[in-house]
Amino acid sequence: MGNLRYLTKEGFRNLKVNKLMSVASVTVLFSCLMLIGIAFMILVNIQSFISGIEAENVIMVYADLDASDYEYMALGNELNALDNITSVEAVEKEAAYEEILAEMDENLRIYLSGLDENPLPDAYRVTVTDMSRFENVVNEIKKLDGIERVYENSSLAKQLEGIRDSVTYISLGIIILLLIVSLFIISNTIKVTMFSRRLEISIMKSVGATNSFIRWPFMVEGIIIGVIAGILATGAVWAVYEFALTSFTSVLTGLGSGVQVSFLDYALYLVAAFVGIGIFTGIFGSATSIRKYLKERKFVELED
Amino acid sequence: MIQFKNVSKKYDNGTHALKDINLTIEKGEFVFVVGSSGAGKSTFLKLMMREEVPSSGTIVVDDIDLTKIKKRDIPKFRRRLGIVFQDFRLIPNMTVFDNVAFAMRVIGTKEKKIGRRVPYVLSLMGLNEKARNFPQELSGGEQQRVALARALANNADIIIADEPTGNVDPQMSYEIVDLLMRLNEAGTTVIMVTHEHSLVRCFDKRVIILDKGNVVSDGGSLVREAATSHINPVSEIEHRYDVPPEEDYSAYTQGTSAQAEEFAVTGGAE
Ligand SMILES: Nc1ncnc2c1ncn2[C@@H]1O[C@H](COP(=O)(O)OP(=O)(O)OP(=O)(O)O)[C@@H](O)[C@H]1O
Ligand SMILES: [Mg+2]
Repeated sequence: MGNLRYLTKEGFRNLKVNKLMSVASVTVLFSCLMLIGIAFMILVNIQSFISGIEAENVIMVYADLDASDYEYMALGNELNALDNITSVEAVEKEAAYEEILAEMDENLRIYLSGLDENPLPDAYRVTVTDMSRFENVVNEIKKLDGIERVYENSSLAKQLEGIRDSVTYISLGIIILLLIVSLFIISNTIKVTMFSRRLEISIMKSVGATNSFIRWPFMVEGIIIGVIAGILATGAVWAVYEFALTSFTSVLTGLGSGVQVSFLDYALYLVAAFVGIGIFTGIFGSATSIRKYLKERKFVELED
Repeated sequence: MIQFKNVSKKYDNGTHALKDINLTIEKGEFVFVVGSSGAGKSTFLKLMMREEVPSSGTIVVDDIDLTKIKKRDIPKFRRRLGIVFQDFRLIPNMTVFDNVAFAMRVIGTKEKKIGRRVPYVLSLMGLNEKARNFPQELSGGEQQRVALARALANNADIIIADEPTGNVDPQMSYEIVDLLMRLNEAGTTVIMVTHEHSLVRCFDKRVIILDKGNVVSDGGSLVREAATSHINPVSEIEHRYDVPPEEDYSAYTQGTSAQAEEFAVTGGAE
């Protein structure tokens, strides 16, 4: 339909003509979306951090420091014989040491490589099949001989589970609050735009334009503003997130979780959600606030 | 046909702008509406285009009862009219071309046709060079002519013009009325409000005189009035116009009907 093309073109032209208002709307929407995005990324990270710990259904079994190779292998066989075990993986101390060194800070590495002896014991990494019987397995292992230490995360994971729920609710609450605030600000911005253009609207009506003919360019405008703000906000959240990651990376690894959420895993969802929110607010914001200016006078017979 | 039956209009602030108006304007008629400022002329036109609604009475335009018309039918109704507003009502952020084209786009005219028609109506108003200008870049008279061009764009059945000559010089005024007259000859109903009695006198058409919301005279053309009657209902008002009609308009009283035909043929949107 040629008409649709004209009305869409008109929407773009209006954006250009009302430059100041367009920039203001994009800025407002962009700011709100960025805050939402940041809150979302924080939530996602906390979630992933906690489930990362939880998912470690791994028991580290450290052999006695002075255990012989034979004793070490015997321990391996005993572990393998246990119930509810998926795998038993030998972690020889040389390999483990290398691994740790590789992950370490340069200075610390130089310091540690000065040590003659490998301070680590040989160990086995035991993976449990049924998590509900995790505790049983741990107790069984503890009964075995030749063990220096058994290390597992289950108690920490349990504590964190409670925290995770409250963190989730709080973040969701914040996101919803921000969403409401955004809608409010955006609808006000649109109202101001409409008010400043009420003359234009009334003229269009007086030459016989239908409401939808008048409304369409405004909606196109709203959609464009939404798309631009959505894309910009995604970019901004990305930048902020990458910056935060590099600044806090040491803190996060210090907390024992090497798992970092990659922004790119969520970028698509964020763009989709932001552009969606933008389009939604653009369409409904303009549709509802234009109504006031589209009203016709009603005929009511007065008694004289 | 436009019919007013017992129409009164009282604005919300209590102003009684029109009082019990009864009149009929036939299809194809040419009517001047004159009267002093505040007499209710614009109100009369606004009721006719359903921009205002009467406080009582009924208004029927071409079998449509404007007091009963459904909201969603109002735009369609307005498209039958070519309206020149007293305050021009040009869209400030559109060029002259687009202002005129807008009225055609509203009714779904093809861009190709718009591209031919708009320059034509602009040329009738002597505005071709201003097509790319914005309304605020034009003089009052030029803006008025754009408003007129827009009203002509769609070849409407009824042209309602509120002081279409208020801001232009006598020669241009005469040419505008002459153009409206020629449209009228081609079948268009024309209702034109004006202050200028001197102008009205040059044309032998029905004149409705409003005063303080009442129709004080209807029917007689001022040409005949002046010739046959000693009582001129507007003689008092007329003194305010410093343009003596005979001197300024008589020179232009020969219109060419060839132009009128050309106008109709070059065609508007149907
Ligand atoms: N929207 C309105 N609200 C209240 N009163 C109004 C409104 N429009 C017009 N009036 C009043 O109604 C009366 C008639 O106004 P109208 O505009 O019809 O006069 P007019 O004959 O067109 O005058 P002019 O020649 O100055 O244009 C005036 O007293 C005016 O003040
Ligand atoms: Mg008026």
